[in-house]
Amino acid sequence: MSLIQISGLKKSFQGTEVIKGIDFTLEKGRCIALLGPNGAGKTTTLRMLSGLMNPTSGTISFTDAKKGEDIRDLIGYLPQFPVFYEWMSGLEFLSYVGKLAGLTSKEAKERSLELLELVGISDAKNRKTAKYSGGMKQRLGIAQALIHRPQLIMLDEPVSALDPIGRREVLDLLEGLRKETTILFSTHILSDAEEVCDEILFLHNGKIVESGTMTELRERHQQAKLDLYFKGKSEGYTPYFSNHELTLSVMTEGNRVSIFVRDIALARKAFLQEIAERNWPLEKFEVSSMTLEDVFMKVVGK
Amino acid sequence: MSQWMTLLQKEMLEMWRNFKWIWVPITFILLGVKEPITSYYMPQILDAVGGLPEGAVINIPTPTAAEVLISGLSQYTTLGVLIIVLTTMGIIAAERKSGVAAMILVKPVSFHSFVTAKWAGSMILMWLSFFIGYLSTWYYTGLLFEWIPFSEFFQSFFFYALWLTVILTVTVFFSASLMAPGMSGFISLAVAIIISLVSSTLSNWLEWSPAQLTTYANEILMDKEIPDSTLPASLLAAVCIILLLYFSVFIFRKKELAA
Repeated sequence: MSLIQISGLKKSFQGTEVIKGIDFTLEKGRCIALLGPNGAGKTTTLRMLSGLMNPTSGTISFTDAKKGEDIRDLIGYLPQFPVFYEWMSGLEFLSYVGKLAGLTSKEAKERSLELLELVGISDAKNRKTAKYSGGMKQRLGIAQALIHRPQLIMLDEPVSALDPIGRREVLDLLEGLRKETTILFSTHILSDAEEVCDEILFLHNGKIVESGTMTELRERHQQAKLDLYFKGKSEGYTPYFSNHELTLSVMTEGNRVSIFVRDIALARKAFLQEIAERNWPLEKFEVSSMTLEDVFMKVVGK
Repeated sequence: MSQWMTLLQKEMLEMWRNFKWIWVPITFILLGVKEPITSYYMPQILDAVGGLPEGAVINIPTPTAAEVLISGLSQYTTLGVLIIVLTTMGIIAAERKSGVAAMILVKPVSFHSFVTAKWAGSMILMWLSFFIGYLSTWYYTGLLFEWIPFSEFFQSFFFYALWLTVILTVTVFFSASLMAPGMSGFISLAVAIIISLVSSTLSNWLEWSPAQLTTYANEILMDKEIPDSTLPASLLAAVCIILLLYFSVFIFRKKELAA
């Protein structure tokens, strides 16, 4: 079931079109990554969805929103660099935001303590947010986005500013949150998207250039590629492969020969037979699968 | 309503934590007691400081109690206004600049409440500080000169505070429309100065100008009755305050929170 529908979304800043017409639908209960290089328009898109920016044209509609309902009830948003009232403690800030979102004082406090526990900063709940580290701010930011149990949480680069350990923890946190709510998060780190998300939207130069689940993307962009590793320099073996009828192209690097082929099954059979006959010193034979990075490079390179 | 109260409570707590609740009332009290005390002890002060030629006769007429209160009020026209503008100018602009306003306003918070609760917070601070400051002027004038009836004191307080409210609301308005707190402070001061100057030079034509409320507050003390133009000037001040608040919310809502 769809949660939110975006169609023809555009945004211009002083005449420069930054978002050039985006259409997509988010399904309930999914985790979607908005992936793209720096400057692709990820932050702008999220800001428009959260209502912090008005689109130049296009519509954003929530399936569940009743007429006249404040869509801010349905969303939680974490900006790229979350800021808090520095004179408040983490617990005070969460309770304050909770009360603003319509919880009673008691509910707000209970929910805050629960969330502080969930994001792993309950030890620092009474410390002023001015004294929080970058990672703690990010966690408090995630907690405040969740305070009113929104249907959709949007996180702008939630892990980019974190060290490897903090990042691992936040990714695990997101993994856990998937059961409760729909998550849309932007990132330029491919492995994060691949790890947590079911679905990926590639944003490049203000347009969605590719989208789908990981499996769909792999199938669509899969190129049959064989990696052969020989003992010693591999150049001597290249002519045979490049002249073979199944070969599309060949790359050589050190002891490795990478061959793009028309048909994996046929090529494997033919090449292995040939190598065995000639008694070449093959050390490793690999049918390589497409990574998200390959898809990214291919899509963005267009 | 409960959301508005939450916002107001936060303003109160913030002003407590950043010591506004301490230094603003204290400054206003200092401003307030300075006038009666220096007026009373002026001959002794001059005497003690010395430097006057031998034989010079110091002859300063003792001011009346009303005159002391009036010159006490004039302290608030300059320094008081400055303090009000300085404490209010960042109230919205600074939060927007730091980005915390965006954090709050992605929650279902009404823009009306956000702006008016901030305004109300500043109002409470300003009215209370001004009240105890001016009350101490009245008290010391009573001790050292003679007692002015409390009702006259209170009337002059009220109409004077109404003018200070206009200035405070102007500052809130510019704080909502501009990004830089310094800029909004500067423009608010300039506006206050221009309105006061124009009103006092063209006082015959601008009897209803809210800035004239300061003059009327003085006249209440001097003549012991409320001047005729006080009511229309007060009404106009109220209209200005409401319009300024309305446009503050309107402009603030129009602006994109994320720059």
